[in-house]
Parts: sequence; C-alpha cells; structure tokens
Amino acid sequence: MHRKSSRLAFLALLMILALLATQCAAPPAQQPAAPAAPAGEEASQAPAAAEKPFAGTELVLASMTDQYVAAFQYLIPLFEEETGIKVTLDPLGYVDLYQKLTADFVGHTGNYDLMTVDIVWTGEYAANGYTLPLDDFMERDKDQLALDDIMPVSWTLGEWEGKHWAYPLAGYANVLNYRKDVFAEKGLEPPKTQEQLLEYAKMLNDPENDFYGIALLGAKGPAVAQDYMVFVQQHGSSILDENGKPAINTPKNVEILEFFGKLFDYAPPGATDYWWDQRETAFRSGKVAMMEGWSIARAGYENPEISSVVGKVDIALAPVAEGMEPKYGFGGWGIGINADSENAEAAWEFIKWLTSPEIQKEWIRHDGAPIRRSTLEDPELNQEYPWFPVLLESFEKGDGDYRPRIPEYSIIQDALGTTVNAYLVGEMTAQEALDQAQAQVEAALK
Amino acid sequence: MKRLVQALRNVERHYLLLLAPLLVFVVAIAIYPLLFSVSISFFKYRLTDPTQTKTFLGLANYITAFQDEQVRKALANTLVFVFGTVTTELTVGLGLALLLSAETRLMQFIRSWLLMPMAIPPLVVGLVWRSLYNVDFGVIPYYLKLLGFDLGRGPLGESATAMAAVILVDLWEWSPLLMVIFLAGLKSLPSEPYEAARVDGANRWQRFIHITLPLLQPVFLVGLLLRTMQSFKVFDIIYATTAGGPGTTTTVLNYHIYTVGMTFFNMGYAAALANILLVVVAILSILYVMVLEQRQL
Repeated sequence: MHRKSSRLAFLALLMILALLATQCAAPPAQQPAAPAAPAGEEASQAPAAAEKPFAGTELVLASMTDQYVAAFQYLIPLFEEETGIKVTLDPLGYVDLYQKLTADFVGHTGNYDLMTVDIVWTGEYAANGYTLPLDDFMERDKDQLALDDIMPVSWTLGEWEGKHWAYPLAGYANVLNYRKDVFAEKGLEPPKTQEQLLEYAKMLNDPENDFYGIALLGAKGPAVAQDYMVFVQQHGSSILDENGKPAINTPKNVEILEFFGKLFDYAPPGATDYWWDQRETAFRSGKVAMMEGWSIARAGYENPEISSVVGKVDIALAPVAEGMEPKYGFGGWGIGINADSENAEAAWEFIKWLTSPEIQKEWIRHDGAPIRRSTLEDPELNQEYPWFPVLLESFEKGDGDYRPRIPEYSIIQDALGTTVNAYLVGEMTAQEALDQAQAQVEAALK
Repeated sequence: MKRLVQALRNVERHYLLLLAPLLVFVVAIAIYPLLFSVSISFFKYRLTDPTQTKTFLGLANYITAFQDEQVRKALANTLVFVFGTVTTELTVGLGLALLLSAETRLMQFIRSWLLMPMAIPPLVVGLVWRSLYNVDFGVIPYYLKLLGFDLGRGPLGESATAMAAVILVDLWEWSPLLMVIFLAGLKSLPSEPYEAARVDGANRWQRFIHITLPLLQPVFLVGLLLRTMQSFKVFDIIYATTAGGPGTTTTVLNYHIYTVGMTFFNMGYAAALANILLVVVAILSILYVMVLEQRQL
C-alpha cells in the first residue's frame, strides 16, 4: 500500500513540476525588437581619438564554407593586429548556417555578431529585422567607404526596399566554364546563346568514352531549384509576375523546364543527384565539356591539387536565349550585423576594413570574390586573373533578382527543389511539376 | 485531490530530495519540450513570421495533416522503409547469429568486427554510402558497370531503386544489432530439447524450425519492436543520402517534419506531425515494454 501511494505521489509531483515549468517558460509573445539603429549615439560617445577604440572586443563571425573562408582565415589575424578586436570565425555549411542563424535571431540569443548573408535571404532578413540596417553607419562614414566604387549590382547583396541589411561581401557572376582544349579540337567557339548551348552539349556528349556535354545541378533541394532558376533567367523569364507574386507555372516556364530537362540528356547520368560539390568534381575531373556556375570557383581550376583540367579551362559570358537583352545571373554573399549584437560598432569596423579597396586586393588573392569596380579593373589583379574582364561585364549586366530575394524565397526554393527533381527523374511532367510547385507555394503563403 | 495531497505527505522527504536533480532533469529535457510541442501544435505558429503571431487553430493542424497529400506520401514511404528494413534486418541478423554463434576465436573476431557499422554515426554512414553509390565517381556503380549493369541515374537517382538503396544502407548499419540480440537469445536456449530431438532423429533443419525458432520467438519480438520503432524515426540516413529524393520517393515522415519545421519554420504544423509520429512510436514502445516484462515473468 505504502509503495503504491508513493508512486502516485511521485507522478503527481512530476505533473506539478511539469506544469510549473510550462508556466514559467511560456514564451512571452514577443514583438520583434524594432531594429532602430542605436549606432549613431554610441559612436558619438566612443573616444574617437583613441587609436584602438575597440581593443579587446570579441566578435563572432558565422561564415558560409565557400571559398572565401580561406580569405577570412588569412585576413582576420591582420585585422586583429590592427584594431585589437578579436574575431572568432565559425565556418558552417549552407543548411547549418541558415538554421543556426535563424535560431540565433528568433531566440534573440545574439551568439553571432557578424554573419555572411546569402543574397536570397535579404528579403527575409529585412522583413524580420534580423540584421541591423547599416544606413546610419554608411551615412556617417561615407567619406571612408568609396561607395561609388562598389558595383551597382553588388548592392543586391543585402539591399532591400531602400535599406541595407547586409553589406556587399562577395559577388558571384554566373559564367560558362568550358574546356578550351575540347572546343579548339572541334573548332568551336563557346556558345553565345542557350540554343547553341544545347546544340554543343549534344555535339560534345560522348558517353561511350565517359565524357559528357554539360554538368548541371539535379539534386533534390536547393541545388536543382537554383539551377532551374538560372535557366529561367537566361531565357528571359521569371518565377514572379509583374506584381511580385509567385507565377511559377507559366507556359514559358514550363517550356524552359523542358529545355532544362533536355540538357540533362547530355549530362553525366548521375547529374540528377548532383549537389554543387559533385558538379564541381565532374568538371574538375575532366568529365564534362561545359558547366555554368559561380565565378568564384574559377581560380580553383588552375590548382593542380584539386583539378585535373589545369590550363584547359576558360570562362565566357553565360549564354542567354536568342534575341534576349543580355542579363547575367548574379549572386553571392553580403555580410550583416546581428540586430541583437552588443558589439555593432566593432562589427562595423570589421566590415569597413574588409571591404576597403586596399584590403579587397588581398581578399581576392586569398580566394575571396569581388564587389568593387576598382578591384575588377585593377591591372595587377587582371594580370593574375585574366578572366576578370568577363566578370566585369557579367557584373555590369548582372541580375541579382533572378532568384527572388523576397521573404518567402525558402518556400519557393523548397517547392521547386522537390518537383523539378521529380520531373527530371521522370516522376512528373514539366507542367505537373510546376503546377504542384505553384500550389505548394500558394498554400504555404496563405 | 485530497488523496493526492495525503499521498504526497506520506512520501519520505529524503527520497524526494534525492530524486530532485533527476526530476528537474527529466522535466527540463523530456517533459517540458513534450508539453510545449503539444501546446504549439494547436496554433498557427511560424518562427520566421515577422509579426510573431500565434493564432489558435484547435485541431486544425491535425486535420490538415491527415488530408495533406505530402504527409500521406511520406507516411506510405515510411511504412515501406520500416517494412523493408525490419524484415531484411531480422533475417540477416538471425542468419549472422546462427553462422557466427560458435565460440571459436575466429568467430569472436569476426563478430566484433561486424559491430563496427553500429558504432559509426548514421550521418557519416549516409555520407559514405552516398559517395559509394555515386554513379559517376562511386565504387559500387564502377564495378556494377564492369559487370554490364545499366545503372541509369544511379542507385540513389532512380526512383525505382532509391528506396531499396537506402534500405540497404540501414541494413548494413543495423543488422549487427539484431545479430547481437539473437546471439544473446541463442546462448540462453536450454539444451534439453535439442538432446531430446537428436534422440528422436530430427535433422538440423527440423531442429531449427521446430525448436530454435519457437524458442527464439520472444527475442524475435524484442528485435522486431526495437527496430520498428527506430525505423519509424529514421532521419539521418535519408538526410545524408537522398534528402528524400528523387522527387519524394524516399521522403519519410520524419524527414518531412524536418522540412516543415526547419526549412519553413512552421512550428505549429511540424509539432502536430511530430506528435502523430510520437503516438505511433509510443504505441510500439508500450508493446515493447509489455513484451520485455512478460519475458521476465
């Protein structure tokens, strides 16, 4: 009897404790902290005369593990020496980065002071005020920033409805990488139009010898969604209508999806499972003749440690559909300051230092990516990176909005990521795939 | 209520004191999140919603879940996965146990090596197999192609083979666990029935069918329930190999919940889905506990 009642009491206690816990910890319905920049005030208080005003401050930077991580690793010690600010780098993969940052923002934990912000997160970050608008800082320090030197398209890395939620960090142009040896052998020039791209992919495809026309991203998820959007852009279409509402399943987009599917006939058989790294492997191992991709990977093809096509590669402007006003896909990363950061001033120092024209040259030399005209036109850098003129032209006609930077981007990407992949493996027709993506997006936005 | 209070008083104080740290721990780690997830499953609650509004929906999330085409597909996929992994793993596990039950040094050696896959985190297992399976660079397709097989988009890329391919990964990782369970079962079998059977002239196959299998039945049930529960919750292997693809061929329920919760941050709906999964797994675990207790009697 005694045992039974004590067990009962135990259970009762457990329930009471649990209830208490829920009561205490019920999250207060939180209004998003209005991210009115407190920056200006702080600045006036800071001893401007001191040489290292922020010495001893510690910053944590969450960075995507793109090539530019190497540049961060090289430059951060220099910055620490110069300013006395300590910067801890936390390199994270794409999905991890997005999720960790979101958790940090939503929970207002302020673990990260600085973060690399993918161009497509801009709208979402702005709508939620996750990062600090940098306009006050920029206005205050405009004399030191050489703002006019930053390529206009670079501003899409963080600008949203007139405010800057991230500062341009690394601009990527979508370019065509091709095997110049293979093209020379056949007496071909790199394709200028999408129609030629398909034609050449077909012509150069040689599966008997394990050589294929083109490498593409086909893996379910962000990979296939983003690659499809590249082709939508290159055919002059969009997945938003003129009012900015999702219009995924237009006849034009269905046609483009079918074109995209045809290209896969001339891609390595595993391409429907390619993520960015496998596509890179395919190109670097010399399995394919062409690959569209981000310009930041270009330097790596000349590195014999990771590439077996050293000296056999060149880049050209990405082909666009015949008769279309040339526009080139633009992407990359901005760098933002957490709205919950207590070290916004020091974090801004870092951004300012990193994006200054002088440091930008070192940034490029250690696998960073350009944002400034002066960098792209720099004679020394042009000597070291002979493909810079292609980049400059791509940047000048860059389109940073082909992947809609709207707050709902991740929903569109996920829907397309599943259905386009399903189309490519023959589970759906192109029309069904886009109809379903459209329906999923509409349902999620309700 | 009065009785409860009375009962509480009856408890010796120092018991409570000793239990307190554990209680706090359990409440913080298990009970509170559970209650929280139940409570938010009644709301429309999106973490990334700029206005951070929570709208009370009642049971709407659960009703949507049962009507949601994607959830049904995911549930169907989960059932295929569970059936595929559990049946093959039980068979292979039993086979390995019978094969390796002898107490020779060689057998002990092989047995301990066979435990390796279990010690590797499933995420790593998934990544390793993803590269092994890769049709353009991977080892497995390389040899299969030499043997003249046409692999198309590769084991993970073809809708027809993707599910079987991930089941094989799971089989590789978890069969050893069942082997261990069956080995323990085999060791604890009484020897008398075998002696009696031998006297009666039963051959090995007859002894296996009529003695070993019936006697192993409770062990079988333990293995079955344990693996069914784990298979229902599978996530890491799918995440690392196919991400639920191609299309939605290998999107299991837990992966779908992850997408809803961690990509869309649609927490209310994700919580409702997770609770449905929880009920399924809870029923299985109650069965499991009942079986275990029965064995001890």
